[in-house]
Order: sequence, then structure tokens, then C-alpha cells
Amino acid sequence: MTLLRATLRTALSALHRNLLRSALTALGVVIGVAALVAMVSVGQGASMAIQAQIRNLGTNVIMVLPGATTAAGVRSSAGAVSTLSVGDGRALARALVGVAEVSWVRRDVAQVTAGNRNWQTAIQGSPPSFAAVRDWPLKSGRFFTQSEEDSAARVAVLGQTTVAELFAPGADPLDAIVRIKQVPFRVIGVLGRKGQTSWGQDQDDVVIVPFNTAERRVLGATVLGSVNMILLSVGRTGDIAWVVEEVRRLLRARHRLAEGQVDDFTVRTMTEMFETSLAASRVMAQLLAAIASISLLVGGIGIMNTLLVSVAERTREIGIRLAVGAKTRHILAQFLVESVLLSLAGGLAGTVLGVAAATAIGRFAGWPVIVSVRAVVLAFAFAAAVGVLFGVYPARRAARLDPIVALRHE
Amino acid sequence: MIAIHELRKTYTLGAGNEVEALRGVTLGVRAGELVTIMGASGSGKSTLLNLLGCLDRPSSGSYRLDGVEVTTLDADARAEIRNRKIGFVFQSFNLLPRTTARENVALPLVYGEVPRAEHAERAEAALAAVGLAALGDRLPQQLSGGQQQRVAIARALVTRPRLLLGDEPTGNLDTATASEILHLLRELNAREQLTMVIVTHEAAVAAWSDRVVVLRDGRIVADGAPDRVLAARALP
Repeated sequence: MTLLRATLRTALSALHRNLLRSALTALGVVIGVAALVAMVSVGQGASMAIQAQIRNLGTNVIMVLPGATTAAGVRSSAGAVSTLSVGDGRALARALVGVAEVSWVRRDVAQVTAGNRNWQTAIQGSPPSFAAVRDWPLKSGRFFTQSEEDSAARVAVLGQTTVAELFAPGADPLDAIVRIKQVPFRVIGVLGRKGQTSWGQDQDDVVIVPFNTAERRVLGATVLGSVNMILLSVGRTGDIAWVVEEVRRLLRARHRLAEGQVDDFTVRTMTEMFETSLAASRVMAQLLAAIASISLLVGGIGIMNTLLVSVAERTREIGIRLAVGAKTRHILAQFLVESVLLSLAGGLAGTVLGVAAATAIGRFAGWPVIVSVRAVVLAFAFAAAVGVLFGVYPARRAARLDPIVALRHE
Repeated sequence: MIAIHELRKTYTLGAGNEVEALRGVTLGVRAGELVTIMGASGSGKSTLLNLLGCLDRPSSGSYRLDGVEVTTLDADARAEIRNRKIGFVFQSFNLLPRTTARENVALPLVYGEVPRAEHAERAEAALAAVGLAALGDRLPQQLSGGQQQRVAIARALVTRPRLLLGDEPTGNLDTATASEILHLLRELNAREQLTMVIVTHEAAVAAWSDRVVVLRDGRIVADGAPDRVLAARALP
């Protein structure tokens, strides 16, 4: 304890004596740690934002899209007529009762008017199961019912963006009449806010009407029963894999695809996209780690350099200490402590700087930033490790000095 | 106290270039004795002192300090011997700069792992013993040469060693101050029964000791009471 205190005091006074030199030496570590903290914060913020968006779509959701996937992952043009139909959706719903909720979507862009305002938005036709499949709660009102679906009732549920565009702030859209392609609809519900998808589409810019209504009264479909997308929401996440297989098998059978023929539809799961984004953020993290290690390496070399100079300057002092009974480990500890103090001071300053930089980036660039305790702890651990690692060589050099030579040193 | 037998030390200065600094020295020093070692530069007297101080290891021969064979000890064990049994006083004082006299004196206690609570008290006692009771807070550069050497002596005494080694302890001091220091050393020798071995090239210092050992070319050429040895040396 006594020894530790004496060692610490000596180290602090040695560092303090050459304050400017110590500060410049620590600068390398400061920059390295600051870069590490700032970039990890920004990186984590970005990956959290992506994950939140994907989770917002529902990780248990399976999307079936018309058209095949090419090798590059781009869907080929599905042509004028979608390869998916309401019949496919119904068949899937029947086959997967109790396992997955099934809904489908037919959408088109149309002009909607309310009073003297008008807005071009996505008109989406879906059966009532849509709200459950997307797990999309209503802010007010209600979703349409099966009987409204069956009777092709002219009722509409509005997304928040649409409400904001069509109604004055504060006005209650419930029971108001909106016209879609001149056809009057009664607003029966307003959806909660869902935000953007990970590909940047505003999910709240939508009007949802019963599927039959959309087909017959709004979209003027020439071919009845074709859909743009079938959505399935699987009750248990563990079932997703086999449900995907089941969907594929069933649709291939219904579409009479022979063996060897490629699917004329694409099945996508959110977990898949989730993992893609996770992989992307992992690559990002590795990149950051590489940059941070390089800057910490440079910082460490700086520390080693300064300590070697310090050992040379203090050779006589080391000799005196050895003469009065300092052991190898005492001298070793002396210089290691100095090295670690330098790097930890650098780590502290770097953390402060890094957090400040991350906050500034968050504020001015508008990126989501998460300053995690883990990043700070990691940066500190790295700084300390740099101190030990690069302190060992100079400290050993000091500890191995011959006391006679050291005492004679001018 | 000190028993060395056939002590040899050979330095290797590059390939094939060897210098024999000590060529078989046998010497005994009793507890409480005050011995000076004389000799021209290159005679091996510094080498002998380094070996006596466990700062270096001999090439061959034996050295028993206080009954313990120290030639076979490793660096850390020798550090411990230096800490507990030996005090050093150097020509150039060798105090730590920017460190108060009291802290300089307490330095061996730090490495001897003496409880911190005792440090100040023991350092003060050692400073008082060399007549510097009031100057504990001074830095070395605020002290005169004689005072600095007194601090160094206090540092050498603080662990209550059995043996005090001096390497030209008065070499950097004026005559008056040098005689004060010698007086102090003599007093400590008498009061504490402290064994002292002092290397010097000054006849005046040798004359003040109990016994003079003269080295030439790594061998002892004279050993005895100062008046006899010095008289013999004065002859052509």
C-alpha cells in the first residue's frame, strides 16, 4: 500500500514535471479513444435505428411478393398482371389456420379529397385481417369488419400522414367523408403512427379500405382477384422457417409449377432482413475497430517513445533507487504505472471528447446516436491495455539497468 | 562482519579484451571497524566497493557478509541486502532532485516495505542524528554540499544497517566541510558500532580511520594502521 502510494506519487510528479510532453504523448490515445467512442456511438445508433424500423414491421411477418427473384436479388418485372391472387391468400389462410394470420394487399396511388383539400396517396385494399397481421393498432375509431368487406362498404381507415394532409390540425376526421376518385367514403378509423420503413417509405401515408371495395369501386381492376402482396404473421417465431417452406410448396402447387421451374413469387421474412442489417452493422463495427486499433497503436508507440526518453533521463534516479534496495519489480512497476496513467488520462480525455463528438454529430447531422456504457468501458480497457503493452518494454529496460552503470550516468 | 576470500572480478570489454579489476583479494573486516581503502585510479578500489555493496557480483571468490554468502544471491536478494544491511554514501551525494530531504531519507523505507506511519518519524530521527533536524522540508538544491551529504548519510542510516560504505564521501566538499563530515562519520561509528568501509585517495581521510587497505593493480599491497601504512607509502 505504502509502496503503491509512493509509486503513484512519483509517477504523477514525473508526468507533471513534463506536463506538455505528457499531454502531447497522451494525445495519440486521446484521439484513438475519442474516435472509438464516437464511431461506436454513431454505429450503434444507426444499427439500433435500422433494427427498430424492422421490428416495427414485425419480425414474425412473412411477405409474399409476385415475380421471381433474380440472382442479384432484384425482382424481375411481374408484368401487367400479378402472379398472386386472392385465391392464393385464401388457400394459405385455410392451410395455416392456427399457425399464421393471412392478409393481402392491393394498392394503387389515387387522389383523395376532403372538403377543399386534396392529397395523392396510396389506396390500399385489404381484408380486415390486415390490422392483426401488421399488428397495427388504431389511434381512434375502428378497423372495418368482415361484413363491411363482404358488402364492399365505402368505409376507410386513414394513416396519420394522410390525416395531416387532408384535415386541419385538431379536426376530428372520424365520420368525415373523403372522396377517393370521386367516390365518397366514410372515415371510420385513424391508424397509429408507424413511421418509415427501412427503405424509407412513409407507412402512414395511406388510406386503407376493404379489399372488395377497393377492387370494385376505386381501383377499377380489369382482372379481379389479383393482389400486390400477401402478408402472413406467424404466431410463434420458431414456426417461421417451416411456414416459409409450406407457403412455397402450396403456391408452387397452386401455380402448377413443374419441378425445375423457378418460383413466380418471392417469399421474404423480416428475420432475413433483420439478419442482413445485423451483418451490415457487424461489418461496420469491425471497420471501426480496425480504425480505432490503428490510432491506439500509434498512441501506444507515442507512449513508448516518451517513456524511453524518460528512462534515459532518469537513469541516475533509477540507479539511486536500486542502490537503496529497489527490486526489479519496483522499477518495473514505476514505469508501468506511468505508462498506464498516461494512457488512462488519454482514455478519459478521449472518452469526454468522443461523447461530445457523438452528441454533436447527433445534433447537427441528425443521426441517431447511442453512447453506450459498453463503448466507454471498452475504450477505457483498450487505453489501459495500450498503456501496459507499450509500457512493458521501456519499464523492462529501466528495471534491467545495472545499478553501477546507472549510478555513474550523468 | 565482512569476510572475502580470493575475490576476482574480470570485465569483458568487447571480444577478447578482458580487464582484471581484482586479482584475488582476501580481506576481513570486524564489526565496528572503520576501514579506508586507498589506491590509484584503476587499482580496483571502486570495484571492490561495488562488490562489498552487493551492487555487483564477483567473477569468482567468496564474500560473506554478516555470515551470509552473498555472491550466489540473485539481483532481488542483493537488493534486499542493500536495503537492510548496507548504507551507501557517494561522492556526488546522489539525492533525488525535486524531492524533500525527509522523503529522500525515507526512500529506503519505501522499498523495505516499512509501514508508512513510521516513515516520517524514522526519517526525522535519522536527520536529527546527522544534525539536520530542522531541514526536513528542504529540497536538495536548497541545501549546501555538506548538508546534502548529511542527508545522504541520514538516508544510509535510516534502515539501521550494519555496514556503511562510502565512495569518496568528502571528494566534493571543501576542507572544512569535509572534516565536519568525517567527524560525523567517526561519531556514528563510535555511537552505533557501525562498520564503515570508505574508499578515498586522500591521505588525510585515510589517516583518520582505524585501518588502511591499499590496492594496486587489483591486489592488496598494504593493510594496517594508518600511521604505518601511510609512512611506508610516503617512502620513495
